[in-house]
Amino acid sequence: MKRILVGLSASAALLLAACGGSSTATNPSTGAANTIPTPPAASLTGAGATFPAPFYTAAFYAYNQKYSQVTVNYQAVGSGAGIQQLTAKTVDFGASDVPMSASELTAAGGSDAVVQIASTLGTEGLAYNLQGVSTGQLKLTPDTIAGIFLGSIKKWNDPALAADNSGVSLPNAPISVVHRSDGSGTTYIFTDYLSSVNADWKSKVAKGKSVNWPVGQGAKGNEAVATTIKNTPNSIGYVELAYILQTNMTQASLKNHDGNFVVPSPEGATAAASQFLAVNPSQFSIVDAPGKDSAPISGYSWLMLYKEQTDKTKGTAAVDLLDWMVQDGQQYATTVHYAKLPATMVRNDINSLKTVTSGGSTLLNVPSPS
Amino acid sequence: MSRATAEVIPAPPVAKSHRRRFNAGDQVFTGLAYAAALLMIVIAVIFVIALVIPALPAITSFGVGFLTGRVWDPVHLRFGALPAIYGTLVTSAIGILLAFPIGLGAALFLAEEGGLSAIRGPLSFAIELLAAIPSVVIGLWAFFILTPIMRSIVDPFLNHTLGFLPFFRGGASGYGYLTAGVVLAIMVLPIMTALSRDVIRAVPRALREASLALGATNAESIWSVVLPFARVGITGAVLLSLGRALGETIAVTMVIGNSPNISASLFSLGYTLPSVIANEFTEAVGKVYQGALFELALILALITIVVNVLARLLIWRFKGSEPSVA
Repeated sequence: MKRILVGLSASAALLLAACGGSSTATNPSTGAANTIPTPPAASLTGAGATFPAPFYTAAFYAYNQKYSQVTVNYQAVGSGAGIQQLTAKTVDFGASDVPMSASELTAAGGSDAVVQIASTLGTEGLAYNLQGVSTGQLKLTPDTIAGIFLGSIKKWNDPALAADNSGVSLPNAPISVVHRSDGSGTTYIFTDYLSSVNADWKSKVAKGKSVNWPVGQGAKGNEAVATTIKNTPNSIGYVELAYILQTNMTQASLKNHDGNFVVPSPEGATAAASQFLAVNPSQFSIVDAPGKDSAPISGYSWLMLYKEQTDKTKGTAAVDLLDWMVQDGQQYATTVHYAKLPATMVRNDINSLKTVTSGGSTLLNVPSPS
Repeated sequence: MSRATAEVIPAPPVAKSHRRRFNAGDQVFTGLAYAAALLMIVIAVIFVIALVIPALPAITSFGVGFLTGRVWDPVHLRFGALPAIYGTLVTSAIGILLAFPIGLGAALFLAEEGGLSAIRGPLSFAIELLAAIPSVVIGLWAFFILTPIMRSIVDPFLNHTLGFLPFFRGGASGYGYLTAGVVLAIMVLPIMTALSRDVIRAVPRALREASLALGATNAESIWSVVLPFARVGITGAVLLSLGRALGETIAVTMVIGNSPNISASLFSLGYTLPSVIANEFTEAVGKVYQGALFELALILALITIVVNVLARLLIWRFKGSEPSVA
């Protein structure tokens, strides 16, 4: 019985794949929208990162509106759990804020077993609660940020802070530091930034999804960090930009690599990302980017799927979905305050998707955008 | 036992007892009951094994140092459980200390007869409703409403009046041990009240009436007859509440501050065993890191099992002692 079903679905897959192929053939590359063939009917499951979840939810919904035969169920269970579920093959694709490490890839079947593509781009800001100090008025440098989170700058009127903030009245009050208590990609990107710009941080704390914080209070999730800052006078914390903008928090202006003070924005994230042309799953850090407009605390979020797909229908549907995500789907990123992928990254992603196969044949046969 | 009896008695009764022994319904029922009882033990054993096996990488790499270590550093794979164990015990103790007098007072009032009987029904109902509120709802309330009150009113007041004690020193953020303790007190109050009420009601009427007949006032009877008699049962109620408080996760996570500290000040931010697990398991990668979380779970399970066993034993002892005293 099982064998018959498998046989049936395989032949259906072949049929559908054939249809997909022909529809691509009749629509030669006249534009980005036409490069995506009609996907086969499938129900896809993904799991992983919470940070890009608002974007994924919006994009998957839009995709289902466009191609009603494809439903996507995304579970925002955290990057680590997403990687575990992908490795256990209980999901069709995984999502993580940090690409899979060498040991995770080995556990998943080898360094070449999984295709990882950048799906979106986020940036972080330092949100604060200071009476009378509005967005952009507080200026922070790499050293003062590290000082605050290392606990060496304890009060708001510290001379190190005052030096960059003449004209801003900073209170003689202790700084309440708020950080994430749960393991998160947001923490990884922030500690990656601090490790890149501050030797003390790198040697004492280093980077990770959870770290041994020298000071401060932990709150679970971006929302809780945001609310704790709003609730606590004289507090500061790193928050994913989408949450800062959605909840109208005040955020600091950050000194970037070129020495310019910028208020983090989606455009600043794209500017930072376009400085790194050789980003790949093993060299993925884009913090402290050069460039005058670059937002310094930025990072990609990643989607991953197996290179060899056992179920051709599902594999084709998944590849089509991700192909759409990195192109047309990017418009839904900006509506939820994430940044668009730079063009070079979109090209890399499509090239990676072309390597996904089932039974030896490539699942994505789309001319890449010129 | 019955088989031994059957062998020594004469033939006809043997046949009779044989008939009884092979009654299919009895056999099946006995078998099922044994199987059910055995299953519970098997589940408990499997549960402990399922915690020990994944915890082994941490147990072997840290040994006893895990229990005494104060650093929790996932980046450098150094793990110590002491701050979380300390935080779990301190917040639960605060919760019980706050809930005990209120719960006992309410229980005495609810168990009394006559007088304000009209409001006892609604009051009992309200307390049971409190028990039905999901902990995440209490946590949300605590996060948004209780923490600002603690920061701006309760903590400064305690610091001002009792600041000479080490427990009430230092700056207060509104989060930390004391706030978590208050939340736990609210959460265990219904159990504490309901169990104490039942225990007090079980005090034989004759004892109380005898005390009143000897000329004691109502308060004197409660103090010198009812409470001493119910003492063991009330202790059981306290321990059961403690078991509940130790394992509470989400509401505590929202207000504890999630920061591994050991400090005498109750205003200090802290961490608890369930909070560490809930915060970190989704992103914990690597056998040692996951093992450390499983070992925390094992410690928590052992603490709560011991507390619950003690509680059950005390409540059984109380119920067992009932007839002999009466």
